[in-house]
Amino acid sequence: MNLSRPDRLQRLDALAAEYALGTLPARTRLRLARVAQVDAAVAAAIRDWELRLASMADAAAPVTPPPRVWLAIAARLGLGLASAAPSVHANVPWWSRLAFWRSFALTSFALAMAFGVTLFGPGMRAPEQPIVAVLAGPDARPALIATMLRGERTVTVKVVGAATVPAGKSLELWLLPKDLPPKSLGVISDSGLVHVALPAPTEVALANVPALAVTLERAGGSPTGAPQGPVLYTGKVERFD
Amino acid sequence: MAKTALGDEAAFAELYKQTSAHLYGIAVRILRDGAAAEEILQEAFVSVWHHAGSYEAARSHPSTWLAAIVRNRCLDQLRRRELDTVTLTADDDDGREFVLPSTDPTPVEMLLAGAEAQSVRDCVDQLDAGPKQAIALAFYQGLSHAELARHMRQPLGTIKSWLRRGLERLKGCLDRAGYLRN
Repeated sequence: MNLSRPDRLQRLDALAAEYALGTLPARTRLRLARVAQVDAAVAAAIRDWELRLASMADAAAPVTPPPRVWLAIAARLGLGLASAAPSVHANVPWWSRLAFWRSFALTSFALAMAFGVTLFGPGMRAPEQPIVAVLAGPDARPALIATMLRGERTVTVKVVGAATVPAGKSLELWLLPKDLPPKSLGVISDSGLVHVALPAPTEVALANVPALAVTLERAGGSPTGAPQGPVLYTGKVERFD
Repeated sequence: MAKTALGDEAAFAELYKQTSAHLYGIAVRILRDGAAAEEILQEAFVSVWHHAGSYEAARSHPSTWLAAIVRNRCLDQLRRRELDTVTLTADDDDGREFVLPSTDPTPVEMLLAGAEAQSVRDCVDQLDAGPKQAIALAFYQGLSHAELARHMRQPLGTIKSWLRRGLERLKGCLDRAGYLRN
């Protein structure tokens, strides 16, 4: 690749175009990438072509990635940990961050619509109306559905789309009381139907609890009683009364 | 996107929600391997989280920028496979081949439909049939020179000259239309 000839610019642009299009043979591609690392003009030519071509990329049919992709990203970046947001939120625990509440409020609305839970409107109330929380990740796909009955001391968690938990990790379910730290309900499995004990009858345990969350913790759950891992799923507690 | 630079997790999650299906669609189409596409998507978003500060807000829409990152990483992986025939064989045998829906539009139709502005569509449309199809196939399916030659039953030299001519015309037209802001 001799780029010092007079027609350098034109040849460079042709190479950059085929680099961006992806048709360069493997070795030429590697060499050009190496040159781009030290030559700003080459890097700029490639970037211009990437943007030109990307203006045509929108027609690829969207395919929703499996939930485990977000789980892996969140785990790798430690999202949900106060330490992951260095400058702005350094001293603020994740559960009191506005951003967190905003994101969960958005998804819970979408989920309520998706699941038709609002079908239980006023005047249609069944005699034994459960309290429901549909927990989802940022992709808004339902992962777990938690149901509780008044007067009972159990949360029934049905896993509908949770990602498989990596070895050495556990899912932990939390109550998120308003203005108070999260309260663990214990570790749950990543499939099937799970029954989790509540510390008090439903209406007492859930008073002042607008939402539930699931975090990814070390096997057996957080040893400190406070969540340490990333938040995977959140869901608003829906009361139909 | 600017918010991601500040470590705003909600903005990041929202960005994922809005763009992941589109980006995954691009990766799956090029790699034809769901598991490999997942890896690329993961790497792209991890990289975006770390480098959002370098995002050039004035030059393109965030989704355009992300699409360029994802395409580029897919192509790196495709071409690496060519260099490493052992890997290529292993990939062929592991049964993870991603099956594309048969009702897909052709690459040329997609190239035209995907152009975000009328001016871009016009630029694509004015290309001759050969160059247009070669660019579309390379763009949407990540075919190399040799693969294009096989697929289009043309000599390698013809493919190379189609690509060179086609890309030159495309550039001239797009830049005249003021597509690329400098």
